[in-house]
Amino acid sequence: MTRTTFRLFPGLVLLHLCAGAALAETLQEAEAKEWLNKIANAARQLNYAGTFVYQHGDHVETCRITHFVDRGGEYEKLETLDGPKREIIRNNDEILTFDAEHKILKRERRTPRNSFPALLPDQLVHLTDHYQLRKGDLARIAGYYAQALVLEPRDAFRYGHKLWADVASGLLLKARMLDEKGQVVEQSVFTQLVIGSAVTRESVRPSFDPQDPHLRREFQGPDSAARADTGWTVSNQPAGFRKIIEMKRFKAGTQAPVAHLVYSDGLAAVSIFIEPLPAGGKVQEGPMRQGAVNIYVRPLPDQLVTALGEAPALTVMQMANSVTPRGQ
Amino acid sequence: MEKISQLMDGELGEHESRLQIRRLEQDGELVQAWATYHLIRDVLRDEAGIGAGFAQHVCERLQHEPAVVAPYTRGIARAVRHTLPLAAAVAGVAIVGWLALTPPPPAVKAPSLMTESAPLAVSKEAPRAVPRPLAPADGQMNEYLLAHQEYSPTTAMQGVASYVRTVSNEDPDSSR
Repeated sequence: MTRTTFRLFPGLVLLHLCAGAALAETLQEAEAKEWLNKIANAARQLNYAGTFVYQHGDHVETCRITHFVDRGGEYEKLETLDGPKREIIRNNDEILTFDAEHKILKRERRTPRNSFPALLPDQLVHLTDHYQLRKGDLARIAGYYAQALVLEPRDAFRYGHKLWADVASGLLLKARMLDEKGQVVEQSVFTQLVIGSAVTRESVRPSFDPQDPHLRREFQGPDSAARADTGWTVSNQPAGFRKIIEMKRFKAGTQAPVAHLVYSDGLAAVSIFIEPLPAGGKVQEGPMRQGAVNIYVRPLPDQLVTALGEAPALTVMQMANSVTPRGQ
Repeated sequence: MEKISQLMDGELGEHESRLQIRRLEQDGELVQAWATYHLIRDVLRDEAGIGAGFAQHVCERLQHEPAVVAPYTRGIARAVRHTLPLAAAVAGVAIVGWLALTPPPPAVKAPSLMTESAPLAVSKEAPRAVPRPLAPADGQMNEYLLAHQEYSPTTAMQGVASYVRTVSNEDPDSSR
């Protein structure tokens, strides 16, 4: 259905112009963009705690998320409720990943967040070049009234999105990512949710003891990433994917930095990592996936390229295949 | 178990499909998985007529299967009878969890237990896109994923929820 719509699109636009509906279309898009902004702000500014179901393919899993903001900053907790316990705690620029099964605690530190929320409004300008935005129906999700937003891709290089936001607060209640056939790639939805003062600083504390001597600790230094010119570029990215950041990352236990480039069309993002080939280590090459994230690993003569993102395999592969040193 | 899931999705070629169907005939546990997968998917797609008459309906349909596939379906029928309490429990959980979901209609009609030509339909179906293997389970991709998510616009909208891709346990065996 979408294919036909795209083919007919210029014709439709013309029709709309004739009918004087072009303005209405623009208003629709402007309103949809406003909703996206509202969603991004709500995610950062509200206190909330809830249980959500995450699905991709035949895989279904339940998680609990808690978000708390005060003058000290932003605190978030994500814990898996099915299978082995895993937990992610984010305190401003520090991310702790706890794996109860293997008793591993990892810590990463970011340079102060400079990507959000500034990124989104800026990116929104170009969003409509690659997605058709419109407001959908009202729905009821986890007891809240939700406004649906539909983002239909204009080509096969990105997935479609349908988002449902709480009418009152703008909080994202349900998100669905669709492939070109309209099949669900990934979906998450709150089944229970509390917004507001019931959520306290206590609710975002880790459920594990970070001082536990039995844990294996993999802690990284304070500057694990910094903006820098890496000397690499992607020469043949699909239309609309612009480089939003370029940096050097330092991985625990390695000397040489990893180049990290992020390309985004405003909604989907693809990261490219370039690092020296691990000495003697065998790497799994080619396409793979983790959940709905597509990954493509490609060795160069002495470098290893890892591309990944919540975009179709085609997009990720095309970008991985066109990684070249800048100036060549 | 992953093969069974692929068989269900029509992702296997003719030879591989026959092989897996033979495995299904011999392994009760696989049959259970097969039945449960179908039930889960039907619930997710809101297709299933799950109700008081569901089990009876399945058994009735199975009894009317043509003789040519009888050895195969009898095995299934027996397994379905044994599986139903488990399957019903799974469906119950799924229904509670997925009440809010209304997935779109499936574009591809999957082979069904209740169609007499099911095994043939599977083997005739051309393999679809090459399935991409899961990233290594040792979590070596997680570091990249974490780094990526910090800059992905979806994180701006979903907050730490988008990190679910990093913590997700997609062990094929854990779905039993």
